[in-house]
Amino acid sequence: MNASRPIQISYDGLARVDGSARFSFGDTVALASVSGPIEVRLAAELPSQATFDVSVRPLNNVPSTESKSQAATIRSAIAPSLILNKNPRTLIQLVIQTLSPTSTPRWTDGLLAAMINSSTLALLNAGSVPMRGVVCAIAIGKTRDGELLVDPEEARVAELIQGGCFAFMVADGAGLESNSTTVWTNWRALERTFDEMGLMSAREAAKDAIKGVYASMKSSIMPERIGHGDDDKMEI
Amino acid sequence: MRPPSPSIPEKEFLNSALKQNLRIDGRIPLDMRTPVFIFGPELGWVDCSLGKTRVVAYVDAKMVKPTPERPFEGMITIHSELSPYGVQRINSPRPSEEEVTITRMLDKIIKRSDALDKESLCILAGQRVWHIRLSLHFLADAGNMVDCACLAGIVALRHFRRPEVEVIGDDEVIVHSPLERAPMPLAIHHSPFCFTFAFFADPETPPILDPTQLEQRLSAGLMSIALNAQKEICVLQKLGGVPQDTEEILRLVKVAVAQAKELSNTVDAKLTADWATRKVEVR
Repeated sequence: MNASRPIQISYDGLARVDGSARFSFGDTVALASVSGPIEVRLAAELPSQATFDVSVRPLNNVPSTESKSQAATIRSAIAPSLILNKNPRTLIQLVIQTLSPTSTPRWTDGLLAAMINSSTLALLNAGSVPMRGVVCAIAIGKTRDGELLVDPEEARVAELIQGGCFAFMVADGAGLESNSTTVWTNWRALERTFDEMGLMSAREAAKDAIKGVYASMKSSIMPERIGHGDDDKMEI
Repeated sequence: MRPPSPSIPEKEFLNSALKQNLRIDGRIPLDMRTPVFIFGPELGWVDCSLGKTRVVAYVDAKMVKPTPERPFEGMITIHSELSPYGVQRINSPRPSEEEVTITRMLDKIIKRSDALDKESLCILAGQRVWHIRLSLHFLADAGNMVDCACLAGIVALRHFRRPEVEVIGDDEVIVHSPLERAPMPLAIHHSPFCFTFAFFADPETPPILDPTQLEQRLSAGLMSIALNAQKEICVLQKLGGVPQDTEEILRLVKVAVAQAKELSNTVDAKLTADWATRKVEVR
């Protein structure tokens, strides 16, 4: 199984938002910013929990139907990890901006994974929303020859017959093996028919690959151990 | 929850500091923040920041059929929508006043001033022209988004390279990929830059250049001048606010002229430096 494209994480420190983070798989970059808990409009107010609002802005254009669909997707992937009933009648606003152009409209799962990861990091950077765990995502593809590709590059997208993005919620504690649960996936067949065994094997591959993503995220937030040279590096 | 800004102590502090020609971030009144440019891996992607104000500009091009009224000209569209980065404006259909001002300024500066030559975008008269799309994304608002957006837009247009096309005969067009033939820059006549001055109600307070968020909120009027390094004014916009006499306006125009020259040199240097890092082999 191959490794994902090189992961780069940076915390931009955008002005006037509570937290912001940039995540990239190779050249696919997404920037997320989180504000919350902040004031909410009366119409969107919920009496016993915070309103979680997600919006996605693509690079090329003004937001379209696809952005709304991606926003709903990301919301359902991230929502299980947030404890929203600690801040009722407030708003948690997450805005995700894609910073790389989508050259292959058929395959946007790499970008989707980057967007989910950057959202999680922005929420961690803000530190103002209680969370149950960390949601990490990765894209998996299966070629005609049955090879499973982790985070396929754009050059190899044409070979894929099945593919999708998997999001896992990881909570440290007893160890990664038992503490990551799948929270969301959009595995589908791009050609021919859907095959359940393919989904199972892809999920196992994704669970394995997510360890790398989680390790990158963790080391970007926590400084190096004392005595091991320069710490406070926020970038991988 | 964040209380509404600006508060009374902030207001009083800013006003009394400005009376003494002191700005909160340490600049002198007619000093502009140094722009920082980050160029992306793609040509036409630039992240421009003035202090903490950040705008990302992205240019892409596609071939379309021209409008019947103008069969020899290409098309330029500018997308600039303010996103709710910390601004409470979700799902509201009406754009805010600031967004309207920014859109109009960008339209006047980049499109109406003919900064980009539209006739050079024609491939096959009446059938195929280039449609250049400039998208601006406002990542952070720390004051003076208009200037930052215009700067990002112009630099992105100068940074962008469109694919080379070859026209054979009367109706055959071959688009060469960037790997076969080096892409061509856009024909830019001149590079206009925008400078915004903020005025305050108190007559003893001098006008300031490139206001920050707080200064912009507390100002009593704004004036934007867009001009290029050749001292040609494209737009001079003053939407209401505190009245100023002509000598003052002319003085500020002179200041803007000096700034434009300096900014033009900076932009040229940065673009050349970035182009040197890209591998363009010519065989």
